[in-house]
Parts: sequence; structure tokens; C-alpha cells
Amino acid sequence: MIPLAQTESLRLAGINFGYGSGHLLRDVSFELPAGKLLTLLGPSGCGKTTLLKLIGGYLKSREGSIHLGGRDVTHIPAEDRGIGMVFQNYALFPHLSARRNVSFGLEVRGVAKSEREQRVERMLHLVGLSPTESDRLPASLSGGQQQRVALARALVFRPDLLLLDEPFANLDRQLRDLLRDELRRLQAETNVTAVMVTHDQEEAMAISDFVGVINEGQLLQIGSPQELYHQPRTPFVARFMGAANILTGSIPGASRENPLMVRPERVLLGEEARLGCWTSTGTVCSTTFLGSDMLVNIATTNGPNLVARIRPSDMLLPGMVVRLGIASDAIWQIPGCDPQGVCP
Amino acid sequence: MKPGPYLLASPAAGLLLGLLICPLLLVFRVSLYQPANGHGFFTPGTWTLANHSSLLENHGIRMVVYTMAFGATVATVNGAISFVLALFLRSLNSSLQNVVFAGITLPKFASVLVILFGLQQLLGDTGPINRLLLASGIITEPLSMIRCFFGALIGEIFLILPYTAILLFAQVMEIDPLLETSARGLGASRWQVFRRITLPLSLPGLVIAFQLGLVWGMGAFLGPLFLGGPENTTLSVEIQRQAFEYSRWPRAAALSVQLIFAIGMGLSIIAFAKSKMTRRLVRGGQ
Repeated sequence: MIPLAQTESLRLAGINFGYGSGHLLRDVSFELPAGKLLTLLGPSGCGKTTLLKLIGGYLKSREGSIHLGGRDVTHIPAEDRGIGMVFQNYALFPHLSARRNVSFGLEVRGVAKSEREQRVERMLHLVGLSPTESDRLPASLSGGQQQRVALARALVFRPDLLLLDEPFANLDRQLRDLLRDELRRLQAETNVTAVMVTHDQEEAMAISDFVGVINEGQLLQIGSPQELYHQPRTPFVARFMGAANILTGSIPGASRENPLMVRPERVLLGEEARLGCWTSTGTVCSTTFLGSDMLVNIATTNGPNLVARIRPSDMLLPGMVVRLGIASDAIWQIPGCDPQGVCP
Repeated sequence: MKPGPYLLASPAAGLLLGLLICPLLLVFRVSLYQPANGHGFFTPGTWTLANHSSLLENHGIRMVVYTMAFGATVATVNGAISFVLALFLRSLNSSLQNVVFAGITLPKFASVLVILFGLQQLLGDTGPINRLLLASGIITEPLSMIRCFFGALIGEIFLILPYTAILLFAQVMEIDPLLETSARGLGASRWQVFRRITLPLSLPGLVIAFQLGLVWGMGAFLGPLFLGGPENTTLSVEIQRQAFEYSRWPRAAALSVQLIFAIGMGLSIIAFAKSKMTRRLVRGGQ
């Protein structure tokens, strides 16, 4: 059977990009092994979509190089790069049926009709679009179906690389979770190397082999989701990957230059607190109900405010006094500062 | 249905009924009178098909065919120029767009007659274009650019272009540039993007622009009168001649009825072609 996609690695070296004197991207370099999914995570305006467009060939960088497999694609225009892209609003062709949207990439490449039809049907089946849905115009398809069409269209010509720009941003939560799993399945089945952009860290952790956190045009850290969550290299990464206590004093070893991080779920409360290498007492300032768990903000008597994650059944109310502690293995020393030079 | 929507339609309906349909019915009636014998414009109380049947003679058929051909040429050339202009406008930033826009609409501030006289001078045998070409030795005899099909075409396009260019500009601005970007990303060349994305998405506007060009071109009067040839002429010019030069009102009325039918036929052909094209674009093979 013909493979569904090519598998190529992606390598970026020293990418700089900006308009005029402003820098949107500074010295971005990374390597993504073939067949893996990388998520670029960052706040809006951080440059992640710009980076995606540079990889796709929709923008030209002033410095640096992009290699796809063994191929230097830095100066190759978008139409010759062989990269599939799913745009945030899908950019489906409104005058073509879903099926013809999918077959577009094969038509313009001059793929013979019989092979084309075969590949289009296979791809439509793979993304779970029924034949009746495939005959409809995009406007009469639901958001989720449009997303599937966009995905099929980007994959049907067996791209070397798949790019996804906030592919789930316009979908409701339930559908987002469903399609997230399907994208993961599809990526695994086709074994296509993929780069996705999102501002949702939960989405990034759920779907990716690797996550790269970008802020103000700089790639702060790239690694597995576990690595970024447990061993962030800068305070920004620590906070962006989830709720974090960043301590710059009070605890032995913590200073402004060497901040420590403790995730809220690692803060010990009540009886368990005595297991900690550091203990204190504190007063509950506020609580945030999150459904399956709860975040409590506690003002400690001999130190900073700490956020702890508890079960909702633990019934902590503002004003209550609790004992708390932190075990030594829960403490991560953040090795670097954020590039802006500001430490917490 | 509630009366509201009908009330909204009533001013337009009143205008159409009172100032278009009724006079048209009168014109139709006039076309069935016998010509005047000695005094007046026609012989009241008579009925005849003679005015219409004379249109089936060679000269009449030639005139109808010429009018249709002229209308189709105006519509095609004008549509193409407007479309290219609209695409050019879209590629500009908004302040430049305003400047070019002003340039396009400027001729509409001048009187039509001024423009046509100007064109007559410009394109004439002793006009600056011919003098320049003669002086530079490119030609030895002046090019006849007026009193012919070409002159009438140029004149008519001058009058229509601003409307259709604005119309098509509004249409192409509706096309999300991201669609063209994504088509390129899918491997389409510039030509393929134009042929498969930009052109089909502009089709609704192109059809309206073509219809406008056809109706205007077939009804063309001033362009052919000032810049067109003396022997081949459009129905409108002939109608004016019959009515006001020869005072043959029944004949002029019959020609008018013929013109209306010819335009109706042209519009029907476009409507048919449009539905065919739309179907082909959505489902067709390539």
C-alpha cells in the first residue's frame, strides 16, 4: 500500500524575522525528528503563527535556514515546498464541494483522475466524512466537519510536513477534545511530521510529542510536555505550562537569581505537611473551584503566598488556618531567567 | 405575507408601472399603426404588422445582428478591462485605492458630450494620436479610429467602465486573500490560483458586469452616434433617425420593440450560461 505521508525531519537554524527595526522572531533554532508532533505554545502576539508561516513558505525570513529532511527549503516558495497547512479559519474554498476542496492539491499537481479519486475517497474516509457530507459546500458543513475537510485537504497530497494554526480555536470544548484525539490518531496513522500552534497549554500537553514555548519572539524551551511541566527553564515557561508557585526567598536556596518552582499539587496540607523539608502555617485567602479540583491561595506566616491544589471535598474556606509543607523532591530550581532579564 | 414588504416595493413598482410599463405598452401600440399619410406621426385607429415585417428584410436583420454583436463586444471588452482594473485596485493599499478610484470616477463628473467630443478630437484622422504616429513614421496613412466599430466601442466603454469597475471591485474585495494563499500552499501556480479560485469567486460580479455591458451596449446611442460608422449602426441610432429625422413613428416604435426583445434574449442567454457554469464549477471534473 502507498504510504499516506512522507516522513521527514524538520530543522530550523537561526531564524530571524521582523518588519523594519522590530523583531518578531529572534534566533529560533530547533530540530524535530520525523513523524513527531511539535506544538508551538505561547501567548497571542508572541510570534508563533509567524514562525508557522515561515516554515510554510508564506513569509520569507531575513536570516536563518529551514531544512526539511535533507532538503534546504529556505528559498523555496510555498507552492513547491510540499507542506500541508490547516489555517485557523480553515480557508476552505467556498465554491467547491468538500470533496473538490480535498482533491484540489492533487488536481493542481496533475495527478491522474483515477488515482486522484481513490486517494480523495481514502482521505475522506480517514477523517470520517460521509459521502453525502463530501458533496456539500463548506458553508453547509458544521465547524467540526469543516475542520476535517481542511485536515484531509492538507494531508491528501502526502505532504512532507503538516502545519496547523490553532486548528481547534473555533470549536466548542467537547468537539475540541474529540477532534484533538482524532488528529493525534490521524497523525500517528499517516506518520506525518507535524507542527501545531496554540495558546492552550492543556491542548499542547495532551497532543504533543514535543512542546516549544515562545514568548516575545524567542523560543524559550523545547522538550517533551513532561519536561516542560516539571523542569521549566525559565519562570515564564513554568507559569505558561500551568499554575506554579515561584519562590524567590523564605525557602532555603531560593533567591531572586535562583527562583524555585513548586506546582500547586505538590504543596502538602494538614497532616501530610510534616513530610515536607520545609513547613509553615498559613491562612486561606481565597479558593477557586475548578470542578475536579480546587486551587487555594494561602498566606504563609513566615513567607510568601502559596497556591495549593486540593480536592473539592477537602472543604477549605477563606480565613481557615492550615499547616503546609513542601517535600524536597517537589522543588525545581529554575536554571534561567526570562530573556527580558526580569526575574520574579 | 404581511403588507410591510409590499409597501417597501411600492415606490419602485409605481415608477416601473407608471414610467416604464405603460409607455412601453404605448410604444407597442404605436408600432402597430400605419405610417402617417401627410400629417401627424401615424394614422390613428389603424392596425398593421407592416412595420415589424419590414424588419425581416436584409437591412433590418443586419442592424439587429450588428446591435447584438456590438453589445456583446462592449460587454466582453468592458468586462475584461473592469475585472483587470478591479484586481489591480485590490492589490493596492487603501490610500492608493482612493486615488485610483477618483481617477476612475472622474470622467463621470464631466458631461457625456464633452467626453465624446474629446474622443472625437483625440482619435480623429488629424488628431494627436494619428499625427504622432505619422510623424514617427510608424504609419503612412492616418488610422481610422472613429466613424467605425472601433470608435463606437471605445466611446461606449468610456461611458460604462466606471460603473462596472466599481461593481467588480466590490466583488473581488469580498474574496478572502487567505483562500489564494492556501491554494498556493496546496501547490497551485499563480495561474491555477487565478483560474480555480479568483475567477470563479468573481463570477457573480462578472456576470452582472457583463449584463450591464450588454444592456448598455445594445442600447448604445451616444457612442455609435458620435464615434460609430455611418453605414453600420445600432438600433438606437436608427430609432432616433426614424423618429426625429423621418418622422416615421410606427417604424421607430417597431424597432424599439425589436431592441427590447433582442436585449431580453441576450440576458436569457447569460442567465442560462451562468447556471451551467456554476454547476460545472461546483461539481465538475476539472
